[in-house]
Formats: sequence, C-alpha cells, structure tokens
Amino acid sequence: MHLTGLDLFFWVAGFLENLGLLLVLWYRRRARSFPFFTALITLVVLKTMVLYLVLHYGTKDWYFYTYWSLTVLDTILQLCVVYEIASRVFRPLDVWGNDVQNNFLWLLSLSVCVATGLTWLASPPARTWMQAFATKGNLFAAALQSELFVAMMALSISARLPWKTHVAKIAQALGAYSLLGVLIETGHSYFGVGRELPAFIVLSHLRMAAYLACVTYWVINLWRDERPARRMTPQMRENMFTLQTLVEYDLQNLRSRKNW
Amino acid sequence: MNTPNLYFLGAVGVFVGVLLLVAGYYYLQSRRKSAASWEDLFAKLTWIDRNKIAEVALDLVDESGGHKLTDDAASLEPSQIWTLTGGLDGLEVLERNSEVLIDLAFYVQQSYPEAIVIAERLRKDATELKWHVGRLRGAAQNGNLQVSFPFYAQRAVVSYYLMTRRLLTLYEAGNFSMLADLQRAL
Repeated sequence: MHLTGLDLFFWVAGFLENLGLLLVLWYRRRARSFPFFTALITLVVLKTMVLYLVLHYGTKDWYFYTYWSLTVLDTILQLCVVYEIASRVFRPLDVWGNDVQNNFLWLLSLSVCVATGLTWLASPPARTWMQAFATKGNLFAAALQSELFVAMMALSISARLPWKTHVAKIAQALGAYSLLGVLIETGHSYFGVGRELPAFIVLSHLRMAAYLACVTYWVINLWRDERPARRMTPQMRENMFTLQTLVEYDLQNLRSRKNW
Repeated sequence: MNTPNLYFLGAVGVFVGVLLLVAGYYYLQSRRKSAASWEDLFAKLTWIDRNKIAEVALDLVDESGGHKLTDDAASLEPSQIWTLTGGLDGLEVLERNSEVLIDLAFYVQQSYPEAIVIAERLRKDATELKWHVGRLRGAAQNGNLQVSFPFYAQRAVVSYYLMTRRLLTLYEAGNFSMLADLQRAL
C-alpha cells in the first residue's frame, strides 16, 4: 500500500496524540472515572501499532482482516463510552430514575430505528459484500452515536441533570465527531471505498484531521481540573446531611406504601 | 444521479438538519436556564394558598410525609378536595409550579453539587405529581373525572406539598438569603 507524506503525518500525529491522551488519563487519575473511554484510547494506540506491523510484515489480506476486526471492537467500545456517559449523567446517585430510564430506552429504540432506516437507504458502490457491509456498518454506528448524544443532551436538560465538566467535554467532542462521521460515511456510501478513489482519500484525511482536533480537545480539557464547586460550611454540610437522612427515610416510607 | 442515491442523500440531509436543530434548541434552553437569576425563577411561581394545600395533604400524610394512621385520616369529602384544590385547573397550576420548584433546587445545586440528593428527590416527586394529574386528564376525557378526582388529586397534592417542604428545608439547610421569600410563597 502506497502512503503519502500526509498519510504518514496523520498516522504519526494521531499515534502521538493518543499516547499523550493516555498519559493524561493515567497521570491525572481520570482513567478510574472513565474506564471505557480509557479502554477505547488504549485500543486506538494498540490498533495503530498492530496495523503498522501488519502493513510492513503481513499480507494485504492480513491487513484487511486485522483492520476491520479492530474497527468492530473500536465501534463496540465507542458504544460502551456512550453508556458510560449516560450512566454518569442519568445516575447521579447510582440509581436510574424511572422516568429518565424509560425515556432513555424509548429514545434508544427510536435512534436504532432511524439509524437502521438510514443504513437501509444507503447503496454503496462496493466491489465485495464485505466492503458494502463495512461501509453500511460505519454509517449505522455514526448515525446511532450522533443521535444518542443529541438525545442525552435533550433528556438531561429537560430533567435538569447537570453534566460534570469532564463528562461534558468527552461527550461534546465524541458527539461532534459522530455527526461529522455521518457526513463522511455518507460520502463513502455515495462515492465508494478504495484508495484509488480521490474522494475516499479526501474524506479519510478529513476524518483524521477531525479526530486529531478531538484528541487535542480531550488532552487539554482532561488535563484541567473540573470547575471547583463552592464548598459548604461545616454547619451547612451538617444540615444537608440531616436533610439527606430525612429524604432517605421518606424514600423508604414511600416504597413501603406501594398501594399508592 | 440515480433515484435511490437521491433518496439517501435527502434522508441524510433531513437527519443531520433535525439533529442540529434539536441540539441547538436544547443548547439555547440550557444557556437560558443557567443564566436565569433566582428572582426570574421565583417570579415564575404561581401563587397558591398554601393553607389549602396543607389541609388536603395533611389529611393523608403527617408533617414528615409518613402515611397517617390515625382515625381521622382521609376524612375530607370529595367535594371539599375539589374546592380546596381548585379542580383539574388547580392541579395543573401545581404541575407547572412543580417544574419551578425543581428549577429552584437546580439553582442551588449548580453552586453546591451536594444538593443533588434533594434535587433528584424533587424531580421524582414531580414525576409522581405529573402521573397523578395525567390520570385525571385521562379520566376527564373518558368522563370519569368525578369518580377518580379525590383519589388522584389528593395524592398529587401530597407530592406537591412534600416538594415544597423539601425545598424549604434545602434552603434552610443552606441558610440562603432567599429563604424568607420562599417561605412567604410556599
């Protein structure tokens, strides 16, 4: 496979930036808070290393199957990150509110239906069924993710559930990248896939540039500390604790009155 | 350009457009909510006679929200409940006010994240209230409002009453200067 200078630049820059992000996640102790996100970035780093080795020492077929296997894993982890963000926003006290859970499940079903419909309409000019499957799969994943990010945003604002700074920053960049991903995958579905197609090369570079921008955004924002909350005075904290105990008692009381 | 591709491109255009519109709408709404002052939120509260609310609620529960076990529990007549609550219209006012109460708790929570316990509880109370009012709207459409009203209305009022108590206790716990205004309104 012939790689241009720009291809190599994106490859090296992407690898170094992801490595930097991984360092930030561990050094600033964010990895424990975002295990799926850390796993996703780790996979991206490993994917770059493995694909580099396969490209130099393996066959074209090896590269093809390694690339798509790791891409499937990558997509699964991206959906896990969506779950991680949803669980951070919608389970602030480690319990899903019934209303939020139902609304989220309803929006999830709607998102899957819309993404399936969009994928069904696509008819990529592919040489093999594998290429067609991969192009449609990427379009489905990008459409689903972008819908889920918008749905989470709408649901959290309606329910007045706040986003902590780091969660918001991860979601914002991933949401924007997914939406751009829909446009790029639309291009792939329309023009076709293959390095001999100039449109494919341009779209690939566009995707890599957007990803680099996202990683830079994450590196900067995950390095920074969350916006400090105002500290309660010891008296306020004591009062709040009493109130919390009272509310927990109310909750138990309400649960015992199921005949309501 | 063939027809299937045209449909596909059209569908992607609509898809991206709708997502951007929804995201933009909610982004603006969140900006508006974050920028709203306490006075703006407070002004949205509709005045309600708190004595009437307390009378209906305390007929079913005690001050702490526990189910009343005494002989005089649930002694209000359906007609009294209707008069005291102001019928379905009155309950709809409570429903709208419950949203404002959550906003007032969210206002505190933005500065003091620990208040999320109360804000979350208020949100669940409001969901219960809406559920009861929703049942009454359904009953009104089916012509069964008179039969269903006392049961659901009283429970909706209890949810609202508990929300007001919790919010007042939150402001009291935080020793916030707005407590006096809130006490007068609730």
